[in-house]
Amino acid sequence: MNLSNSLRGKKRPSLIVSLLDFFKQLKRHKVGICGFLLLLFYFILGIIGPYIAPHAPFEMRLAEAYAVPDWFVIFPQYRDYPPNIVHRVSTSMWELVEKSNELTLKIDKSAISVIYMKASETNGKKSLFFSYSFEYPYRPPKTFYLTLKFKATKVNLPSSYARINIYLVNTEGKRFLLLSKRVVGNESKWVTPLDVDSRDITLKLRLGVDPFADLAPLILNSKGTYKILLELEVFDRDVNTNGVFNITLGELLFRIPGMRYGLLGTDNNGSDLFSQLLYGARVSMIVGLLASSISVFLGLVIGVIAGYEGGFVDQFLLFITDTLYFMPILPLLIALSVFYGKNIYLQILLIASLSWMAFARTVRSYTLSLRESLFVEAVRAIGASDIYIIIKHIIPQLIPLIYVQLALSVPGAVLLEASLSFLGLGDPRVPSWGRMLYSAELAGAFPRLIWWWILPPGLMLTFFALSFILFGYALDEIFNPRLRVRR
Amino acid sequence: MASLWRYIAKRCVDRLLVLLMALILSFILLRVIPYYVLGIDPSFFFLNPHMTEEQQKLIRKRFGLDEPVFPNQFVRYVFNLFKGDLGYSLYTGRPVISELLERLPNTVLLLGTATVLQIIVGLTIGIVATMKRGSKVDATVVSLGLFLNAFPAFFVGLLFLLLFGYYLGWFPIAGTVSRPPPKDPLAYILDLLYHLVLPLSTLIIVGFGGFALLIRSLLVSQLGQDYIITARAKGLPERVVMFKHVLKNVLGPILTILALTFPGIVSGAVITETIFSWYGVGRWLFDASMQFDFPIVQGVLFIYIILTLISLLIVDIILGVVDPRVRLE
Repeated sequence: MNLSNSLRGKKRPSLIVSLLDFFKQLKRHKVGICGFLLLLFYFILGIIGPYIAPHAPFEMRLAEAYAVPDWFVIFPQYRDYPPNIVHRVSTSMWELVEKSNELTLKIDKSAISVIYMKASETNGKKSLFFSYSFEYPYRPPKTFYLTLKFKATKVNLPSSYARINIYLVNTEGKRFLLLSKRVVGNESKWVTPLDVDSRDITLKLRLGVDPFADLAPLILNSKGTYKILLELEVFDRDVNTNGVFNITLGELLFRIPGMRYGLLGTDNNGSDLFSQLLYGARVSMIVGLLASSISVFLGLVIGVIAGYEGGFVDQFLLFITDTLYFMPILPLLIALSVFYGKNIYLQILLIASLSWMAFARTVRSYTLSLRESLFVEAVRAIGASDIYIIIKHIIPQLIPLIYVQLALSVPGAVLLEASLSFLGLGDPRVPSWGRMLYSAELAGAFPRLIWWWILPPGLMLTFFALSFILFGYALDEIFNPRLRVRR
Repeated sequence: MASLWRYIAKRCVDRLLVLLMALILSFILLRVIPYYVLGIDPSFFFLNPHMTEEQQKLIRKRFGLDEPVFPNQFVRYVFNLFKGDLGYSLYTGRPVISELLERLPNTVLLLGTATVLQIIVGLTIGIVATMKRGSKVDATVVSLGLFLNAFPAFFVGLLFLLLFGYYLGWFPIAGTVSRPPPKDPLAYILDLLYHLVLPLSTLIIVGFGGFALLIRSLLVSQLGQDYIITARAKGLPERVVMFKHVLKNVLGPILTILALTFPGIVSGAVITETIFSWYGVGRWLFDASMQFDFPIVQGVLFIYIILTLISLLIVDIILGVVDPRVRLE
């Protein structure tokens, strides 16, 4: 044991020791520390990003489209932007305004039952009014939605029916009939709820509004107290029979999608931009690390083989390397992405296989000089095979080079992927930063000056690339002292 | 002198082989694999399905799409290239070369100006940083260069567009000239320059940092050499050392870098041109790719590669004349 150690000369330091040593050296590089901390930040973000993201990246209609960030309320011009407003009006919150004597009410926790018992000749309309008032201290919204669940049954009243009317009463007391539904009495399950969408054209036409105007700002036009009126009418048209008409009203949901939402607002589909930003870190990490590993591997293998073998093999590999080196990468990548389909892993492979050439040339020239060095000759004299020499003696000499290249080829790969995504050639399933910029351009974030949609992904990309560049630069200075400042 | 001629001849043969290999490779990537592996027939995308069988056949025949892709179409493609025929656009039916020439002035104006300015600014900054190595100036240049390297080209363009185009409204947001273009030639030129400002500054900002860093690291790598120590020991001023000794010795790599940037002037900057809707080759290439208009894509790739090889050949010749050592390689 002793003998073999002394034969090998110094014992090789363990991985931990060399790592500690590396950090000791890194500490002296301010730039390196900056890069390392940034890198750490992105690394952690890449791992935990999707778990801490509040929503799935493409979950739609979380709020109004083009909502501003929530914290914009600190600015005076955004102070009265409504957040997401949801009113779940359940049984006890309704206020009874008016009721015909013939109707009986049964209120329990989840529903209001309205029962009409026909015992005598009491034909005609029986009605009931509920109201619910709420404060709306914000600027007019763009849309609102309303749903109401109900069911109805009847016994022995063949030609009677009921009608549910929902009004929205604004601050001036003007009533808007949002919904008027005829209930026949065979709706025995909570099936289709009654739906109001303020963008509905028939609704606008019925209210006598320009069908191309937004309805919500016309109704909710000022700050103040609004009322939702629920009217229930039972039309008894049966003669000489006794029977029961039973209507059960469930929860009424009144929703105003927020015009401010989340940390970064929403995009044109109402998806959360902050979640997309968080997801992007992992995508960029995967793209960068995979592409750079593959390209470094390719460059290493080809460079070492070319440099070590020499002769015809060298010439041939150099020829291939040069051919690819002189091709324009981005135009080729664009064409290939269009022709081969938008798959992220295919793109990583393409990016990697078009970016190994410079490294292969460097490796080749290092290998050429290593091959002639004394220790390689000595090992060869003992009778070591070529593979053994390459793996045990040449590649270990190239390790600093490999580390530096691994770090330095990440930004290029990530920026290429981002460029492709920005041009609309990204994988449609992948929430990358380039894609955010693409959809920002497509959805008109520029004329609307939505800088909170454009700046974050771009800056994230820039600092991502910067972290790897700084780290790689520090690695280069630590491993290759040639570039150190010296006078 | 004979060694020089032999050297040049060898280089010519080398570059020709690379050209042929590049042609084969791009043909395989753009035509053979899509057709045989993925089953994409380009005529599928532009033939009107309401045409009769015979009409479709005629059109396919006109573009030579009726023959087998490999080897017939490839051989025809290469022969046509040597005759100076780059093919016809599948969508407009016009020769690729004439469509290219239509867009070339705009691209050369944009990319040519940008490249020249980049080189001048980058070279100056690189030399200054090297001469003041270790000082604050150097540190600023290095950090600025690293930062600019990290800036994605399209993000710089988008920032400019957002700030100067949409927010401040100082510069036009799209196009090469106003619509309708001004009649007066002087006004036309001014209008063109006005539209040029944003894309041009984008390209310069994106490009010069990396270039300056490259120059700096090249120069610094020479400074430790023995001949520099000798020159300094002779008492030569730093300026003379830099310009007469160091720069001469890194002429090869610098010229090579310049030679590699030159073809970009013709092939254009795809992303910047797309962002600013510049009527140039780069955007045309992107649009053609999106439409599977492969004659255009292949044509521009071919021109790019052949320009690369020619400019490298010129650099080789210059170096062979200037520096006799390279002839022996």
